[in-house]
Amino acid sequence: VPADAARGDDPAVIARLAAGETAAMGEIYDRHARAVYSLACRILSDRLEAEDVVQDVFAQAWRQAGRYDPARGAVSTWLLVMTRARAIDRLRARRGRPPAGPDLSELDRAVEAPGQEAGAIAAEQVGRLRLAMQALPDGQRTAIELAYYEGLSQSEIATRLAEPLGTIKTRIRTGLLRLRALLTRQEPA
Amino acid sequence: MSHDDLRELSGVYALGALEGQDRVRFESHLASCAECAAEVRALRAVGHGLAPIVEQQDPPPALRDRVMARAGASAAEDAVPRRGPAMPRWLAAAAALAAVSIGLYAATLRVRIQTLEIELSDLRTRAVALERDLERVRREADTARGAAFVLAAHDVLRIDLAGQPPAPSATGRVFWSPSRGLVFSAADLPAVPPGRVYQLWVLRGPTDPPVSAGLVHSEPSGTGILSTGPLTIPGATGLAVSLEPEGGVPAPTGDIYLVGRI
Repeated sequence: VPADAARGDDPAVIARLAAGETAAMGEIYDRHARAVYSLACRILSDRLEAEDVVQDVFAQAWRQAGRYDPARGAVSTWLLVMTRARAIDRLRARRGRPPAGPDLSELDRAVEAPGQEAGAIAAEQVGRLRLAMQALPDGQRTAIELAYYEGLSQSEIATRLAEPLGTIKTRIRTGLLRLRALLTRQEPA
Repeated sequence: MSHDDLRELSGVYALGALEGQDRVRFESHLASCAECAAEVRALRAVGHGLAPIVEQQDPPPALRDRVMARAGASAAEDAVPRRGPAMPRWLAAAAALAAVSIGLYAATLRVRIQTLEIELSDLRTRAVALERDLERVRREADTARGAAFVLAAHDVLRIDLAGQPPAPSATGRVFWSPSRGLVFSAADLPAVPPGRVYQLWVLRGPTDPPVSAGLVHSEPSGTGILSTGPLTIPGATGLAVSLEPEGGVPAPTGDIYLVGRI
């Protein structure tokens, strides 16, 4: 597992990647493949498909390295946003839904949007966020998981959970606000 | 949707779970609501945090070779035509500029919409006026058609009416065909005071009360017209016009302005 410190020069490595330096790909892969693969496994529950996603994501990173702007977010966030988009595309294809659903353009924009607060969360925050998710009321956690890891729309979530749409909206917002409050409060000085 | 209703959507939007009309509505709200935009950014950041918290597992070692092989292949493929980064700096700058332009464009559109709303309201007022004019013209055309129909009747009578003391110079003329109707036209009648109307009466002998033939549509210029359908009144001896309360009355009550004998 790479130390956070090693990730500090991620943007420089991406710049080398953009310049066509193949060796830079090895460095980026070694730092982030585990996170990319794990997220793809979580979303797809299928190791072989997750491996395909890993290949797709790094190929996309290679092609789009020149578009990466460090001011807009950490390299890990950039890669994981791509990972989620591609994995959910496959999930939708599996369900017989068109791949380019509304959330995916949204995800693209998430990468592009300037001024977004997309810094990678620190290693210790990962643990905290994981605990905070587990501590959320079941209804809130489930709704958030269905939206984030399964790429379901709010109406699909409402149908899946047999709850009114309004309840889903509120649960997701309340849950995310609670997670945020927790992260902000425990930010180390 | 109110601001509070829209704000409820920030969570689902931040996770990309908002679709359809709600999404369009929310995005246009975001363009003008800094509070909601800030909340979305914050919640989206939380969403990004959900990616690395999943259970971590190592990819199979062979995967690295496949990824590297693909990168190598791309590099070889790109070696000749590759022109640097996929999006050059100037293009990124142009895209940022475009984003600003879209914001300005939205503001321009809002102003444009306001202008159009004002224009629409003016047009609506004009349409109402035109409708009123059209109604008047239609009424006049009906009157003219009715008059021609009456004038052509074989049983038509012409009765001239003379001005009475309240309006000595006023004159009137009636063409009356019992089978087709009655047409009345007057000149130099005094303007009708508010709340009053000229009413045309058919006079019958000294013992029978007059029968109303209808209300005269009069113009401020002193002309007045009345056109009726078939009107058969046995024993008619003359016609008279009196000034009556608006809406007319069953029997004459006011001053007589015009009288004519059959």
